[in-house]
Amino acid sequence: MKREVTDKTILDEFVEDFCKVVNKHVLYIICSGFVAIAHGRSRGTEDIDMIIEKINFERFKRLHKDLVENGFECLQSESSNNIYYDYLVNGDSVRYTKKGDFLPEMEVKFVKDELDEEQLKTRVKLPLTQLDVYFSSIEGNIAFKEELLKADKDMEDARHLRIIYRGQIDENKINKIKEKIRRLRLNER
Amino acid sequence: MRDKTHMEQVERWAEYVKNNHDWKKKLKPFLDSQIIISRRFYGKLAKTFEGRKKIKELRNIK
Repeated sequence: MKREVTDKTILDEFVEDFCKVVNKHVLYIICSGFVAIAHGRSRGTEDIDMIIEKINFERFKRLHKDLVENGFECLQSESSNNIYYDYLVNGDSVRYTKKGDFLPEMEVKFVKDELDEEQLKTRVKLPLTQLDVYFSSIEGNIAFKEELLKADKDMEDARHLRIIYRGQIDENKINKIKEKIRRLRLNER
Repeated sequence: MRDKTHMEQVERWAEYVKNNHDWKKKLKPFLDSQIIISRRFYGKLAKTFEGRKKIKELRNIK
């Protein structure tokens, strides 16, 4: 049997497998740390952040069933009813792993405000990552990391992305997202 | 707060990624090894007394 040689990491394969299923059911984005890691940031992570559009229970039930049929399990509950009503609609995230694996895990949550909705609308595929998944925009990621998250690793992620996309970043877009972050997430007027 | 040499290293590596196509090949063993080591550890911990409970606590799983 011919074996394909690939540079894809365990994280890459997990993300692509998961997104392939999710993409059949809802709009999604991968955001936060994995965006930087997929662009070569040399740091690890156990969880990948995914935001999905708000959907009704019936649609979620079909999505969950498809994920389970493709070898994923939800760490919070096996019941789509519990996952939906006890977590997702309350704004809490749920975590999926490949069945039997402790990690990596996909942390899934619904959009929660105008900022998340805008991230979904402006989602992009990023060829430099060599991954066939949708990400939140580079400007969005930099804005969140520099304005909201601000931990050392976040500032380093933002710096990394700024270097990779030097000359292609829209600073006005970053500033507008930062302004929305201050207004919607930091409660500044 | 990390010192400035840390950010300098971040910048050096980002420049390498920007200018070299083999970055993923270089990074793969490093990223994969972290997952492999963590899986091995959690697998062993799960078999100990209250191991699964501890894993949930460690990873903030409600």
